Amino acid sequence: MSSLDAARAADSTALRKLIAPNGAFDQIWPPALTFVVVVVAWQALIRAFEIPVYVLPAPADIWLAFANNPHTLLSHSGITLFEAIAGFVLGSLLGALLGTLFAYSPVIARGFLPYIIAANTIPVVAVAPIIIIWFGHGLGSKIAVTTFLSFFPLALNMMKGLQSYDRTVMDVFHIAAATGPQRFFKMRLPSALPYVFVGLKLNVTFSVIGAIVAEFVQADKGLGFVIMTSYRTLAMPRLWAAMVMSALIGIVFFGLIALIERLVVPWHTSMHDQS
Amino acid sequence: MVDAGLAKDAPATAERSSFLSVAELSLVYGAKGDTPVRALSDINLAIDEGSFVSLIGPSGCGKSTLLRIIGDLLAPTGGSVEIGGRVPRLARLNREIGFVFQEAALLEWRNIRDNIALPLELRGVGRVERERKADELIRLVGLEGFHSAWPRQLSGGMRQRAAIARALSTDPRILLLDEPFGALDQITRDRLNMELARIHEITGITVVLVTHSIREAVLLSDSIVVMTPRPGKVSRIIEVDLPRPRSLGSRDDGRFDQLVKVGNRELEKGYHDV
Repeated sequence: MSSLDAARAADSTALRKLIAPNGAFDQIWPPALTFVVVVVAWQALIRAFEIPVYVLPAPADIWLAFANNPHTLLSHSGITLFEAIAGFVLGSLLGALLGTLFAYSPVIARGFLPYIIAANTIPVVAVAPIIIIWFGHGLGSKIAVTTFLSFFPLALNMMKGLQSYDRTVMDVFHIAAATGPQRFFKMRLPSALPYVFVGLKLNVTFSVIGAIVAEFVQADKGLGFVIMTSYRTLAMPRLWAAMVMSALIGIVFFGLIALIERLVVPWHTSMHDQS
Repeated sequence: MVDAGLAKDAPATAERSSFLSVAELSLVYGAKGDTPVRALSDINLAIDEGSFVSLIGPSGCGKSTLLRIIGDLLAPTGGSVEIGGRVPRLARLNREIGFVFQEAALLEWRNIRDNIALPLELRGVGRVERERKADELIRLVGLEGFHSAWPRQLSGGMRQRAAIARALSTDPRILLLDEPFGALDQITRDRLNMELARIHEITGITVVLVTHSIREAVLLSDSIVVMTPRPGKVSRIIEVDLPRPRSLGSRDDGRFDQLVKVGNRELEKGYHDV
């Protein structure tokens, strides 16, 4: 009975959280309403002004482009998603390693950072063909382009984060005779985590862009390939459908990282909630 | 209790009898540069085990610097410090030093109990023993019920209580406090001063407190080391003969005001050339 009460209490608190001011419900309904209004207005305007489909397809046309052949579009999306995730993981690992190296060695940071920043300003469309020549026509080259694009934000944020520790906390660790690894894992890395997640969220966006741009340059599958072929044949609803899929991939991927952040850095995210 | 200047005449006696001894200590910044800055000059102190000593003086007199040298957070350029016959580095490695800073400097990602147990964790003490010790200290500093609170949820005064508990976790023989209550309001400050007096009373630990409040120094200390700046040196040591245990009522004692006056007069000397 007490467990039932507890369950009921939990239920009601969950419900209260959902409908509380600034709760989940308050967070969700404004963008949902915007979505519905925009889609309805869009559809209505296209009907009213008879806009040609190659200029701007109606939402219904885009939906049909997807629904008529969902399997193909989903499998192309799967390829792009795989490239994005693989590039994201590799790029983030590389970025974390480089950022740590830079944080611990100012000399190495000074020696390499200017070139890394310079490399990062090169448009990815210029780099992609070179990487494809190096890594071939398969998935490997797409993953390499994505990795190239998505290591930089984390490297920079990791470096900043590892340098952002509190000097007094360092004194506390010194008094307690902490070892180097203890200082890293129990102080500098936890203090860096909010920065790390800023870097990871940027990497997410860049990794989807990287995968699609690489497919633009050369591919026989993936959303970038779908977009290019649709453009050549002026199959605009299909192009729009591919674009929506790529946006969805980015949003879901981003949401996943944000969720992990809430779990890993609760002291930081709860801070945002209070403000 | 404290013996300054005279130590030079009889260093052997000072070393034998005192727990914390500072001898001819000096610190010069930028010795290799063109204009070296003498932060500390010829500091001599002999402090008995279990006594409560305050370091007081205008900013720039090097009181915090002296405390950091005693705590092995800074190396002097001349002279020596011994804590229970050991150099600060060995005393620190032997867990004999507890240090409380002006900010609590708690780890935001650890609850209060894990923050207090941090020094034990870093020294490789097992979980059961750590938590037993942390719970004991939580009671000592009056943080019952906040074991699993996040630091962010605590007031400034409570955060400092946690910082004191953390400094005491390794059962140090000397507690060094660097203006620990400087950022707190007066009422909270009074309360924490009394907590500190009580902790000193219970544990018998040697305490060195850096403060710029002469009233705080008189209220808590056995002796007050007054320092003057440029270069930082000891100008006078005032013995406080107020009865123990101290309470906020100790301030109503006529002797209290007398000592505060003496201290203020001595402090003002340090401000003359500012």
